[in-house]
Amino acid sequence: MSTDTATGSGETTAPSSSINLESVRAVAKKDFQDAVRSWMFWGLSVFFFVLLVAVTGTISYFGEEIAQQGATTEALVLFVSQITRLVIPLIALILGWKAIAGERETGSIKILLSLPHSRKDVLLGKLLGRSAVLSVSLIVGFALAAVVVAALLGSFDIVDYVALLVMAIIYGLAYTSIAVALSSITRSTTIAGAAMFGVFILFYIVWNAIQTVFQLLMNRGTIDGVSYTQEVPAADGTTQQMTMERLPDWVLFINTIDPGNAFQNAITVLSSSGSSELGTSFPEVWFANGVPFYLENWFSFIILLLWIVVPMAIALYRFDRVDL
Amino acid sequence: MPAISVDTLTKSYGQTLALSDLSFEVEEGEVFGFLGPNGAGKSTTINVLLDFIRPTAGHVDVLELDAQTHSREIRSRTGVLPEGVETYDRLTARQHLEFAIDSKGADDDPEKLLERVGLHDAIDKKAGGYSKGMSQRLMLAMALVGEPELLILDEPSTGLDPNGAREMREIVREESARGATVFFSSHIMEQVEAVCDRVGILRDGEMVAIDTVAGLRDSVGGGTSLRVTVDRIDDDALQAVRSLPDVGSATVEGQTPPTLIVQVDGSKTAVLSTLEDHGIEVQDFATREASLEDVFQSYTTDTGTGVEAR
Repeated sequence: MSTDTATGSGETTAPSSSINLESVRAVAKKDFQDAVRSWMFWGLSVFFFVLLVAVTGTISYFGEEIAQQGATTEALVLFVSQITRLVIPLIALILGWKAIAGERETGSIKILLSLPHSRKDVLLGKLLGRSAVLSVSLIVGFALAAVVVAALLGSFDIVDYVALLVMAIIYGLAYTSIAVALSSITRSTTIAGAAMFGVFILFYIVWNAIQTVFQLLMNRGTIDGVSYTQEVPAADGTTQQMTMERLPDWVLFINTIDPGNAFQNAITVLSSSGSSELGTSFPEVWFANGVPFYLENWFSFIILLLWIVVPMAIALYRFDRVDL
Repeated sequence: MPAISVDTLTKSYGQTLALSDLSFEVEEGEVFGFLGPNGAGKSTTINVLLDFIRPTAGHVDVLELDAQTHSREIRSRTGVLPEGVETYDRLTARQHLEFAIDSKGADDDPEKLLERVGLHDAIDKKAGGYSKGMSQRLMLAMALVGEPELLILDEPSTGLDPNGAREMREIVREESARGATVFFSSHIMEQVEAVCDRVGILRDGEMVAIDTVAGLRDSVGGGTSLRVTVDRIDDDALQAVRSLPDVGSATVEGQTPPTLIVQVDGSKTAVLSTLEDHGIEVQDFATREASLEDVFQSYTTDTGTGVEAR
């Protein structure tokens, strides 16, 4: 009866499962329903609303100078992006850490996989379901706050505001992908939790330290810096050319890989917010021969896209091959 | 045409052998009881059928499809009640069923399904507040979604009171009458004998017996279980009893004083006189009809080894 003859009866087959969009949708919907019933979803919506309103209130109260320049939305984007940069990873990791490991620990993953869903469907459905929780609460918070923000701010730039929302959603998607992928590598929520903590440490502490370490290595001459000339005003009022040294392009690139930097760099592309205050923002004088494409701000979209795709791709490959 | 065909299936976890060269078939339309003590490998077998785990060696076909490469199609035509599983706390029974119906592309009515399993009252309550028995009923209802050709029920009576277990068996009969094949595992013989066409007994990852319920009863002497309390017992005496033509099996239960359980199909006095011939004093004895539980016991507990230990 069997049409495919096995090459060797002792060989363990590790089949690659297929993806069915209907199944992905069903799993995502279940996961979203499950989450919406928890306090998490409404708590998040309220949190984003309060965050926006509080920052706006602060700007309109203290920021008279900013208001005169008509740059209040820019200031809002600047402050809110600094806060969301730190908060969204936390939320995404907390939302996602139990996505797969939790269901394996309680055994309820057998409910999902007793139904005609493939393991890939489950992973993708979980990614969509969990990121939908974050995205929808962001949208609810931003939409409700828009009314208050527009009323309080002298000038309300809808493009900047929406750009911030869109980038926050994409940024959240990237961290949810990391969280769900890590959650699928273990059946222990304790290990999954530790992995989330590791990610947190990596991008909040280690990544910044890397730049400092390279700076030290450059000063010691272990790695070669790049020389550039800059006009510096001298004491007598004239300007004079000074040769200085900066980190090489590839070290700068490492800095832009951090999802948080990519998030803020991408905002500067979409909005009119000043690029000098957000993300990595390297001075133009550093690049005598033009900025390499991978250090341009638009490249941050590619970096964020890779943060969404790569963790998921690894998880999709690996999760098909494990015993539950 | 077999609904399930397991061929020389082996599953090992490192040094531990969970299943060893297991082979059996479940015919289409039959109710098959998969019996064995806890840890015998029942859930491991079911996990392979559903592609939750991959075999170390061997081959499994379900509904004439390869269990590994065609798992999605198999599961779309199968209803499963998994074992040791928690339902989703924050979802109601209705939402659980809607998810199953949605997933299978079926058009069942959640209310009717829940009525069938006796959970209609709790339809809009969150499963987080359910008792173990209610969760079990909910998962049975989920297994029934879409009139599956095959039902795989892993320890379905877990957490059910006797009444619930009876209702569960009633549903198994109804599903069987509809034409479904039912494969269900249990560690309690009583659960399967009333409803199963055939029973397979698993022990330490190997199938030690597979027969109809009547056939199993016959295989262990078919007759009486003799319980003899003696002052002492030794190997020679036990062997002598076992070698009697009418004796199906003889086991020692307890040590102070030792009690012999002998399955005998004929003369009981022969057993007693053999013991006395070996200088063993019979203190008490009783007889009773062999139950299927005895059959199960005789297949799944060690026979004889208890004596050598003395």
